[in-house]
Amino acid sequence: MPPTQRQRRQAAESDEDEDVHQRLDSPADDGNSEVDHMHGVERGETSQLIKKLVRYALACEYSRTPIRRDGIKERVLGIHGREFKKVFAGAQKQLRATFGMEMVELPTKDRSLLTVEQKRKATKSQSQKEPTSNSYMLVSVLPEHLRVSDIIAPSKVQSADGEAAYIGLYTMLIAIITLSGGELSDPRLRRYLTRLNAAENMPSSNPNNENAPSEKTELVLQRMTKQGYLVRVADNKNAGDDDAITWHVGPRGKVEVDNEAIAAVVREVYGGGRPNEDLERKLQASLKVKERKPPRSAAADRAPATIQEDEEEEDAEGNDEPEPGPSTRRGRRG
Amino acid sequence: MEEEWEPPVPAGYNDANRAFIQAFMARGTLTFPEGQKLVAAILSATEGETVDPQSITQDTFAGFVRTAREAVEPLDYDIRSSRDQLRNGERIWAFINAHSDPATQMATTRSPEEVAYIKRLMDLLFDEYNTVRMEVMAVDEGQALKASRPSKRRESQHVNGEDEEGQPSTTASDRGLKHSEVLSLLSSLVAEGWLEKSRAGFYSLSPRALIEMWSWLVATYNDDSPSARDWQRIKFCESCKEIVTYGQRCSERDCTVRLHDICEDRYWRTRRGEKKCPKCETEWTGNHFVGERAITSRQAYQRGRGGRANGNGSGRRSDLEEAVAAQQEAAADDDDEDMAEA
Repeated sequence: MPPTQRQRRQAAESDEDEDVHQRLDSPADDGNSEVDHMHGVERGETSQLIKKLVRYALACEYSRTPIRRDGIKERVLGIHGREFKKVFAGAQKQLRATFGMEMVELPTKDRSLLTVEQKRKATKSQSQKEPTSNSYMLVSVLPEHLRVSDIIAPSKVQSADGEAAYIGLYTMLIAIITLSGGELSDPRLRRYLTRLNAAENMPSSNPNNENAPSEKTELVLQRMTKQGYLVRVADNKNAGDDDAITWHVGPRGKVEVDNEAIAAVVREVYGGGRPNEDLERKLQASLKVKERKPPRSAAADRAPATIQEDEEEEDAEGNDEPEPGPSTRRGRRG
Repeated sequence: MEEEWEPPVPAGYNDANRAFIQAFMARGTLTFPEGQKLVAAILSATEGETVDPQSITQDTFAGFVRTAREAVEPLDYDIRSSRDQLRNGERIWAFINAHSDPATQMATTRSPEEVAYIKRLMDLLFDEYNTVRMEVMAVDEGQALKASRPSKRRESQHVNGEDEEGQPSTTASDRGLKHSEVLSLLSSLVAEGWLEKSRAGFYSLSPRALIEMWSWLVATYNDDSPSARDWQRIKFCESCKEIVTYGQRCSERDCTVRLHDICEDRYWRTRRGEKKCPKCETEWTGNHFVGERAITSRQAYQRGRGGRANGNGSGRRSDLEEAVAAQQEAAADDDDEDMAEA
């Protein structure tokens, strides 16, 4: 990971950093002494730690790696492990002020996803505190009208086309899983994938690569799982049963593709481009989203283009299955 | 006291500026027309009425860039611009990490094996295929494939023997990449905007990569020790002082004067049209090249292509021997080249 190297380099460049210290310091320099007596850490040092954390957070997001508290301690704070709270708060301010982003904590693993065994253990070691995941991801806090696709395009990690396709696919899968009650059996996921024409292959992270324009669906699902978009639960209790494997929405998926985004997908697919009261009613029932004048919504901002593609395919695939429409799914699985 | 600390931002900094930075970071680079579209989209969103991209002036765009740069500089990011050595010298702005090397930039989403390969590729571009005789600074697919696995022969024979800073080095555990993996990696580096692939099938560093890595390149491949020769691997344009990986060279082999094609006209005008090397006064031929043309302009290369290219360069027989030798050194075997061609 890059941050280690950056860290080392920064450590070696204290001279050059001198003026940065001063710049970061000046706004807070209200006559207090240079040293924070509580911890004996110089303020300039804190600014450096804040800068490191901001850079670490951006680097993590680039590869969709969760920003873990342990990682922050190891790669950012080092010997200043006790400064976590202060540095974290400073980095949040900096991220919001400069980039219009912030770190949000990823949800903890669903209790319902634990096996009976794990649940028992969890109860035993029950602590008084709310469980926390101690992991974060970056999200944009820009107002919605600035989060439209012609401003914030799919990022050019690997390739913008691949990124767009990938975002489209996981957004669609998360929408389907959520509207199915938050859980989908493996056979049903496969059926949806078939309808999306993605049962065997999906676009690779670089579809322009003539040597590998597509990738095995299995591998892409693995990546989605690894990056926290999906969770695959295998209940070995009823091994051999078809329903043994179920799919759920992962922590990153929950944050990035929230209910508003899912509603936006559904509106694109079923809204027909005009206000649709019936649909809005169902959406509210299923997702508790704000009512909204339908046609264009910016919620699925990261890749509306691809989502459209997916829909077309879906629409074209005919209706041999009950539509994965909003509220219809919800009660069905329970 | 800590509660009161406010991160420094430029005066008047607002959500439009933040959207600009987010968009810039996702794209990596912007040209002026791309910048016009982006700024127009942002202004349309903030002002609530459609803004025509054509109405965005250089000044408006420059203003957004300046503010963004001011905002990210304290965090060791930067926005720099450079002219593309091809494509009529179109100016390109890049959002960069001010502490940059291939491992921190190109490699953030790559595996250790891929990182090691990228380093070998850089060695190919700026060491092996960048000699006094032939400054190609580009490789075709066959040459790129030859570096699939780490070779013991030229293990990190670094000019400066620079410390690798913990970069996964070519150790025994690195088994390299399969050819198919190299091809995928190359293609994705092209898509991500780090490499360019020319029509003749040569890979070279993109303007973005050059903007981002020039200081690393100089530190890694140039020798600044007092005993160093005049000739250095990374050289700069006599006119614009930016790095030259595609351009012209003085026909005197040991002379170090280089010039971009895109800077040529302006430069000779300042010399009142006298086309002589400013250093050694040799007649400037304009057909001694840096970049892939160091190979493709050679007769032996053109003949190898079934006489595809004829015309210019005819009657320079004396070069033939040199060309053949150079090609053996640089271009290696024909099969690979044909692959690249296909």
